[in-house]
Amino acid sequence: MRAIYKKEIKSYATSMSGPIAVAVMLLVVGYMFRYYNLSYGTASLVYTVFNSNLIFYIVVPVLTMRTFTDERRQKTDQLLLTAPVSLIDIVLGKYFALITVFAVPILVMCILPLILIPLGGGEMMGTAYLSILVFFAMGCAYLSCGMFISSLTDNLIISAIGGILFVFATMIIHNAYSMVSASNFASLIFFIVLAVLLGILVYVMTKFYWASLGVILVCALAAFAAFMVSPDWFGGKSEKILSIFDFFSHFESFAYGSFSIPDLLYFVSVSVAGVVLTIARIQKRRWS
Amino acid sequence: MIEVRNLTKKYGDHIAVDHLSFKVDEGQVYGFLGPNGAGKSTTMNIMTGYLAATEGDVIINGYNILEEPEKAKRTIGYLPEIPPLYPDMTVREYLTFAAELKKVPRKEVKLAVVHAMQELSIMDVADRLIRHLSKGYKQRVGFAQAIIGDPETLILDEPTVGLDPKQIIEIRELIKSLGRRHTVILSSHILAEVSEICDTVLIMSRGRLVALDSPENLARKSAGATVTITSPATADEMRPVLEGLEHVTGVDFTDDGEGTVTAHVTFDGEGDPRKDIITALTAGGCSYYSVDVQRASLEDIFLELTDSEDEEYDDTDDEMTEDAESQDRLNSVKTQAGMVSDEKEPESSESDSVADTEQSETQEEADSGEEAE
Repeated sequence: MRAIYKKEIKSYATSMSGPIAVAVMLLVVGYMFRYYNLSYGTASLVYTVFNSNLIFYIVVPVLTMRTFTDERRQKTDQLLLTAPVSLIDIVLGKYFALITVFAVPILVMCILPLILIPLGGGEMMGTAYLSILVFFAMGCAYLSCGMFISSLTDNLIISAIGGILFVFATMIIHNAYSMVSASNFASLIFFIVLAVLLGILVYVMTKFYWASLGVILVCALAAFAAFMVSPDWFGGKSEKILSIFDFFSHFESFAYGSFSIPDLLYFVSVSVAGVVLTIARIQKRRWS
Repeated sequence: MIEVRNLTKKYGDHIAVDHLSFKVDEGQVYGFLGPNGAGKSTTMNIMTGYLAATEGDVIINGYNILEEPEKAKRTIGYLPEIPPLYPDMTVREYLTFAAELKKVPRKEVKLAVVHAMQELSIMDVADRLIRHLSKGYKQRVGFAQAIIGDPETLILDEPTVGLDPKQIIEIRELIKSLGRRHTVILSSHILAEVSEICDTVLIMSRGRLVALDSPENLARKSAGATVTITSPATADEMRPVLEGLEHVTGVDFTDDGEGTVTAHVTFDGEGDPRKDIITALTAGGCSYYSVDVQRASLEDIFLELTDSEDEEYDDTDDEMTEDAESQDRLNSVKTQAGMVSDEKEPESSESDSVADTEQSETQEEADSGEEAE
């Protein structure tokens, strides 16, 4: 793991991606800081951090698009996977390198609350650092998912666009709740759409036409049968499922002064899920 | 030692490797030979743990690649078909990374890198970015990566591709010298290369093993020989004499138009058939000017073995007898290739032990002293 971590850090430092990501983050955070704190004279760093979530649209694709896409394109994954290193070490080595690069501007952000002390920021020091912590946790979750996206394809552009779309989806999905009716029947429709999506996924993974059709039919019929038995169970379920991908609401809560451990745990578990999915994805490719 | 048992790899309906079994002994150079798409690279990728097999086992130096991958991989150096290089690194950085990845002790990393660079004579490009190197240099950097850390077994997928003739000779010499200390498995479709550097050849076709033997034995045993006789006697005089000989599979005459006839006699047996021919011709009252023998080259055998896709095949090697199922399959090609006379009982290991000095591609001249009258 050490060798891979070292190599990744070196490659971020020498290639464009590391400096660009760090520079963009510092630029956006610096601008927000000047706007909310210095111009308005607010002592709370929360607004600055809250509005800095823009950076993920750039940082996630720039940092993660190459992680596994490039290895596969250059066939260097053959070197990694035939070396006496476990797959977990390879993925974690890369993930920790990503987090390390991301942590550089976060460390710079940690200076900001100190600057605000003359404005009366001393009392809000705790919330300021907690908001930075949530921000960092959210970044870790994004990087983990971005890494997974990059393990799906060997095309850099698709990998980058996938990363941007993922960030976009997780930022706006809370708006989609209102679009999906909470009624029982609408939820049934939602479940059937999910079944179709699952079927498409099965087809992409296995290229087996009948298997995907079977999955769609079985899932759709099961949903329909469940709907016949207890229609009330479906009420509001679509919203619950969508909220799995709702990064924004978990991030937003601290801005209203309600820092919560579950929100932090949410990001930690998303990070773990991303790493596990990446490992599973690479393992799966060995078998196909 | 490497043992491959019943290895199968399927991509959907396509079978890339089909119940492949063989054993590789220490301190020898093995060559995988086969047309493109025969499953050579897939087999190597499975042996090194890059791909998982659909079925079967690979035991590398006592460790199963699936059950104890890290221990098994520690004993292998692998050069894939496309050398796995990071274009943004310098040669030294790259080899240092490879050494660390292979868990070379930290104090020895520097030495191991320099040693590998010296072996491949790439010291002069040590601090250049890999992206600026020529194909031959890239190939050698990839090779250096494989030998770093001194692994017991080297697996090289087409190691001489992209090199110029001088470099090819250097790499072949290097492989030969490495073969004394390590087990080397390489793949190639250059037949001369395989017959020159390999102690044993494994010929693959459509994912199956069609032959496993030393290059000399393969050449000697499989395709037989063709004897060309120039004689002032007529075809009608010679035909009964030649057709009466043992192991003759065909006689063909051409009239040279200058009072001589040339006869082409094909044999399927081992050994030199000229003595029998000369004795028979003399006894039959036919005179002759010359008797030449031409042996089948490795190329002929290769084509013969790999073309016979529909027919079933067979192998002489006794190692294969362990696997009854593949043995049955192997039996037929051998017969078809003229390697084995008895279908059920494969030839014993004599094929490996017989010292054979005969050069496969040499055309031997008839002894002038025996020229008649």
